[in-house]
This record gives sequence, structure tokens and C-alpha cells, in this order.
Amino acid sequence: MNRGGTKMDKRQLTLYFGPQHIGMVGNFSITLTVEGDMIQKAVANPGFLHRGFEKMLENCTYTQGFPYVCRINVMDPDPCEQIYAMAIEELAGLEVPPRAQYLRTMVLEMSRLSSHLLWLWAYANELGFDTIGHWAMAQRDYFIDLFDMIAGARVYHIYIWPGGVRRDIPTGFAEKMQQTLGGLEDSLKDYDAVFFNNRVFRRRVDGVGVLSQEEAVRFGVTGGDLRATGVERDVRKEEPYAAYADMDFEVPTMDDGDSYARAMVVRKEMEQSISIIRQVLDKMPEGSAWHRPPNPFKWKIPAGETYVRMESARGELGVYAVSDGSDKIYRMAYRVPSYPHGILVLEKLLQGMNIADVGHMLLSLNIAAPEIDR
Amino acid sequence: MREEAIKQDIEQRYEACLVTVPREKRIGISLPKDSLFSLIAFIKDEGFRHLSLITCVDWIEEDEFELVYHLASYEDGIHAIVKTRIDRADPVYLSIIPLFEHAQTYEREIHEMFGVDFTGNDRLTPFLLTNWEEIPPMRKDFDTKEYSERMFEHE
Amino acid sequence: MDRADIKKALKDPHKWGEKYSLWVTYFCTGCGIIEIPPVITSRWDAERFGVIPMATPRQANLFLITGYVSVKTLGYIVTTYDQMPDPKYAVAFGSCPIDGGLYYTSYNTINHLDRYIPIDGWIAGCMPRPEAIFIAVTKLWKMIDGEMVDGYKRYKENIDYYRKNQERVLGKKFIESIPSSLPVTVET
Repeated sequence: MNRGGTKMDKRQLTLYFGPQHIGMVGNFSITLTVEGDMIQKAVANPGFLHRGFEKMLENCTYTQGFPYVCRINVMDPDPCEQIYAMAIEELAGLEVPPRAQYLRTMVLEMSRLSSHLLWLWAYANELGFDTIGHWAMAQRDYFIDLFDMIAGARVYHIYIWPGGVRRDIPTGFAEKMQQTLGGLEDSLKDYDAVFFNNRVFRRRVDGVGVLSQEEAVRFGVTGGDLRATGVERDVRKEEPYAAYADMDFEVPTMDDGDSYARAMVVRKEMEQSISIIRQVLDKMPEGSAWHRPPNPFKWKIPAGETYVRMESARGELGVYAVSDGSDKIYRMAYRVPSYPHGILVLEKLLQGMNIADVGHMLLSLNIAAPEIDR
Repeated sequence: MREEAIKQDIEQRYEACLVTVPREKRIGISLPKDSLFSLIAFIKDEGFRHLSLITCVDWIEEDEFELVYHLASYEDGIHAIVKTRIDRADPVYLSIIPLFEHAQTYEREIHEMFGVDFTGNDRLTPFLLTNWEEIPPMRKDFDTKEYSERMFEHE
Repeated sequence: MDRADIKKALKDPHKWGEKYSLWVTYFCTGCGIIEIPPVITSRWDAERFGVIPMATPRQANLFLITGYVSVKTLGYIVTTYDQMPDPKYAVAFGSCPIDGGLYYTSYNTINHLDRYIPIDGWIAGCMPRPEAIFIAVTKLWKMIDGEMVDGYKRYKENIDYYRKNQERVLGKKFIESIPSSLPVTVET
């Protein structure tokens, strides 16, 4: 409507999709400059969850660092423990017994499944499918029960440590695991019928938030977001760690790079994780669950540096560790997958979108705010 | 082995660099700061198109900061760790945004946490901290426990 | 409900209504948020206790601070707590708001949340289990019956003490940006 060029024609508002918002999962904030319903500019504000891990780890001995590292990403804590253990094992030259590698693989895949189910809860709720949210979160809780059985805690397990894992699996664990996996496999058909093949869901996600392959490579995107653009890159295949070299699994990719492609990559990865856990239970060798590390009160690691990497639920997780020959960590820098996704990729994709798609993009890119801040 | 071939290529072009192959799929390159930008451009053409991480290490005893660039190759799966040292008293370096656009965020964090200035990066604004009036916190001469006791009371 | 319950409810309908509909402000402040989705969904089901997440602080009367509080988050917690109408209850979830928890040496997390906003109850643990939240809710009911949760009254009476602590950590600019009409009171 032509109002004769008054100031009311183009009015830009600054809105804060702030930390206290029903559509925000995790403590993160985005400052939006909007014109009507269209976003002109988005600026991501991380830092609400910054605890200074890298600084606190410098005051810790190698054993004291353990309770800290699993808390870096609360949604997917076991990869953070695994990468810390891998860094120390490489610097110190520690061997891990084969049974422990298999147990680590199983725990890492369980963590991937619980992270994906948490994603499904958040994503379904965001798009209005509350029932799927309830189903997914309840299903995830059965995996958390299994964590409770194996590690003694629901959320922060402190299970993977240098030299192996903290304890072997208790009796009855394998049966309960098979039962839970069977339940999830059956439920996946329900999720497909009600959510992934739902016409309303398809209208909402098809063609939304398209990230091209060239852009994804340019912005350092890894993980499911990269595989949704057609690049088949998974650190578990590129540089196998734990027992992944013995596992038979596929790396699902899609081609379009839109929200539907990212959602389907997560959905297919859940099937692969179920298959990997089953293989671990079948093929697990006998033996001890950990090699005794040196005396933790006098453990000095020779000076050196290393970079270790692995595939967490969101992408390439890595640690650059430097030791100076003393008993304390000199420097430990974390490379987290949500770092490029949550700042530059998000700001770029949100331009030109509706306000309704802000929460959607946050979850479609599977951004974990605690990782970015550390 | 591909790692050895790349090592020889680099050693031919850059005399003052130290290249190691610590294990499979890893290359370590250490060189003076004046050649770093052109080396990163060179290995980007060799296939190292993924910038994984840029980080900084504070070698306070030697009065130097060490900037560490982590690059990876999609085709070979090799990961390169490229390091250089800059002066700690006046830490300034070139930004590699012309080569890798998303280096902007890593450099922003190093600026906030260590105090290194990157020329060519126009977004060195506060990132994770708020109301910060002390020295950059990741420096080794900043005592986090003492700051926490003073500011936030331990009793 | 039997006769005795109905009599009790009719004696003080305001308290009865308030207890059994404690709506929580939806604010994911720290890592404790990972136990909130299981609590509010079908497996643990907080709704049978009357507890549901509410989008805005204006319509909520329970503020669950889940986990550690960084300096940036503290400003938003104070603003959110100020916006909630009386009577309101703040419960700290996790060991970190009690005394800093695992991050007591961190340069970016505060150590004692009750010096910045009044806390009515604490749930210890790292991470507390969902059952702990339900025990806290039932304890809160008894405390509401016994008029023992007066955090919001203490806040208004000692507002200078709280604002002084908030200003020390958050800066003068934050205090000056608080509208003078807060905190909000609902006359009963």
C-alpha cells in the first residue's frame, strides 16, 4: 500500500531472540533486524554458557581433567570424554585393551542415539508436532536407563578414561540393550509415518535453509550438515578410532542441502547406530576393560603435541593437546562442530527468512550452544 | 606415501620450515611468520580445503605466542598442523580471511582470549565475555582462581 | 479428593490453586536443562504435579534456575525474575548455584546465586535426577502451606542489598537500564 513515502514504509525493528524464549533450546541469543516478518540481518550472540574450560583444564592434572570434560557438551557428553582420553593416550603412549575399545564404541553410539532423539524432541516441538516430542524423549530415556546401568549416572558418565573404560558391563545389560534397540527400531516406523512422511512437515522443511555443497566446504561445515549436501565425509571412516575399523556401517548422505535433507541424514544415522551397537554386542572380545594408568599423583607425560579427531553427533570433534613434560595440562584447545554452524552459517542462512524459521534453523543445523562457548 | 610427497613439496618451496610426519595422516609444519600466509595458500591448492581450527598457545617463558592452524584434506584425509610464533609483547598477525572466510570467528576468539590483533579482520568485537576489564583470560599470567575469589566470593 | 481435602482447599483457595499449578518459566540457563525435557514429557510427566513450562515469565510463578550461572546469563535471570508477578518462587537446580560447584574457579561463573536473587529452595546434585525435582515440588507445597517461602517479600524488603551485588558483577549500565516500575506486585 502506497503511503506516499512516509517513514512508516520501511521500518526496521531490532528483536532479540534471546535466551529466555520458548523456541530456544539451550542458552543462546540471536539479535534480529526485521522488516515486517522478514529478517534483514541476524547476529549470533554466544557466551551465555562460557565457563572457561580451556583455562580451568590448565590448572588440572591429567586425572583431574576428567570430571570437567564431559560437561563441555551436555547433549552428547561421551565424545568429549573419548577425545580427551584419545589425546592423553596419544601423548603418553598408552595402550587400550580391545574389549575397552568395543565398549567405548558402544557407549559412543548410545550417546549419538540419545543426542539424535533429543534433537527429534526439540525439532518436532519446534514445528508443532508435540506428540513426536513426547515419544522421542521417552524413548531416549530408555537409553539413559542403560547409561545408568553401565556408568551409575544418567547424564555425566565419566566412563571413558585414559587406558580404557571405568568398568565392564553388568549382567543383564546385553539383554536390556537388545530390547531397547528393538523398541527403537519399531518406533522408527511410527516416526516415519507420523513425522518424516507427514505432508505438513514436508511443506515446512522442503527447500528451507538450503546450504550448497560449495558453501558448506567454504564455511568449514562438518558432520550431518555436510553430508546433507552430498559430501560423504565421516571421521569414523576417514580415520577409524575405537573399534570402528571392525564395524560394518554406511554413511548416509542426501543431495539437496535443505532442512529435509539434514533431517533425513539424522534419521538414517539412527538406523546405522542401532546396527553398530548390535555388531559390538556380537563381536565383543573377552579381556579386561582397562589398563591401569600410571600413578595419578605422579603422572608426568613427555612434552609433545597432538591433534586427535572423532565424529560426534554433530560433526568433527577434535582436541589439540600440548604437554610440556610436567604433570599438568599445558594447553588443550577443543575444535567443536557447532562453532562454524552456530555463528557464520546461521547468520548467513537466516537472511531473508521469516521469524518463524529462526528456531527451526537453530535445530535443523543441530547447533549445541554449550559446545560453542565451552 | 602421500604425506612424504607433500613434505618434500613444501621443503622445496620454503627453506626455513620444519616439516614432520609424526604418524599416518598427520603432517606438522613449523615456519616463520612471514611465510605462513603463502604456505597456507599453497597447501590449500594441494587439497587442504578444510580449515578445522585456529588456536593459540601462550609460551610465556619464551615470551612468544604460537598461532596454530589446523587444515585437512577432503581427498586424502590428511590433517596438517601449521604453526608459527609471534611476539608476545606486541601480538599482531595477518588475518587469513581472504583464504578461509570462516577464520573470522576463530580469530575473534583468539583476539578476545589472548589479545592478538589480526589485521584484515574487521569483526574483532566481544565474543564470549561481557564487561571484561582484565587482561585477556587465556594468558598464562591471568590467575582464574584469584579472580573468582575476588569477584564472586568463595564463602 | 475426599472431604478433608475439599475442606482444606475451600479454607484457602488461593494457596490451593497456587500450589497445584506451579508454572515454570521456560529458560534454559545452564547444563541442568538436559533433565528438564524428560521431566516435562510423558515418561516422568511433571504435569500430574501441575508443573508445565510457560513461555513468558509474566504468566509463570516458578523459576527453575537449572545449572551454573555465567555473568551474561545473570543479567537475564535478574530481568526474568523481576518480570514475574508476585507470589513467585525461585528454586536452584544443581550444585553450581549453591556454591559454584565444579566451576568455582571459573572467571565467568558466579558462585552464590542467592546473593543476586532470593532463592527459596535448593536441589543438590550434578545432575539431580528427575525424582529430585518432584520431591522439591512436593516440599515446596508444604512450604507454601506453612508460609515459609517468602523470597519475593525478602527481595522487595532488601532490594538495595540485591541491587548492590548485581551492580558489582553486571555493571552500572545494567542497573540503570532496569525500569523503575519493577518488581511487579499483584495485590492479593
